[in-house]
Amino acid sequence: MKSMTIVIRDDAYDKILTPLAFTYLAAAEGTHVDILFVNWAVRALTEDGARALKVEGRHADQDAWVRERVAAAGLPNDINALLKALKETGNVNFYACSLAAAIFNVSEHNLIPEASGIVGAAWFLNEKAAKADHCQYF
Amino acid sequence: MTDSTITSTLDTTGKCCPMPMVETNRAIRALRSGEVLEIVATDPGTRTDIPSWCARTGHRLLSMAESDGTLRYYVQKA
Repeated sequence: MKSMTIVIRDDAYDKILTPLAFTYLAAAEGTHVDILFVNWAVRALTEDGARALKVEGRHADQDAWVRERVAAAGLPNDINALLKALKETGNVNFYACSLAAAIFNVSEHNLIPEASGIVGAAWFLNEKAAKADHCQYF
Repeated sequence: MTDSTITSTLDTTGKCCPMPMVETNRAIRALRSGEVLEIVATDPGTRTDIPSWCARTGHRLLSMAESDGTLRYYVQKA
């Protein structure tokens, strides 16, 4: 697999871990991964937004426990640190969906430096997703 | 497999997916063709991940062994 695209819409801490772990696996093997953050998940591409991610719903009271287990597994348990580690592989690009950015107050000013920018969904779907070997949606 | 044929050892004990495979990819890149990487793991997911990774990448899985929950893989770089 040479290329993969992922669309992430769910920003609960535990739910964003899976696509980021898959990204780490693929990128480590040399696969180029492009990720579009849509809906609430776009806020993960800001420092404050990533820091604010929590385990939600019926598992909300287990947030600290999940973070301990993630660290024990060897992964950075801070989403900002995990995004940095993924970027350092040299095989990952993070994109903010322009609609989500507009709705959830994300701009070029508060995007983390690891993000490649705010893009239109049509561009991502046609230039990245349609041309990738594999697409995943979370 | 004897120690004398092992070029490098990667100990991923206690770590879980994706880290054993992330670190294995990193470690194999540091070796030359023909050299052997020993991977020590406790993640049961490596039982499937490492053989399929070898088949995909061309690296040769020389052997694997399991004892008391510790898995050892010997991989020769392609």
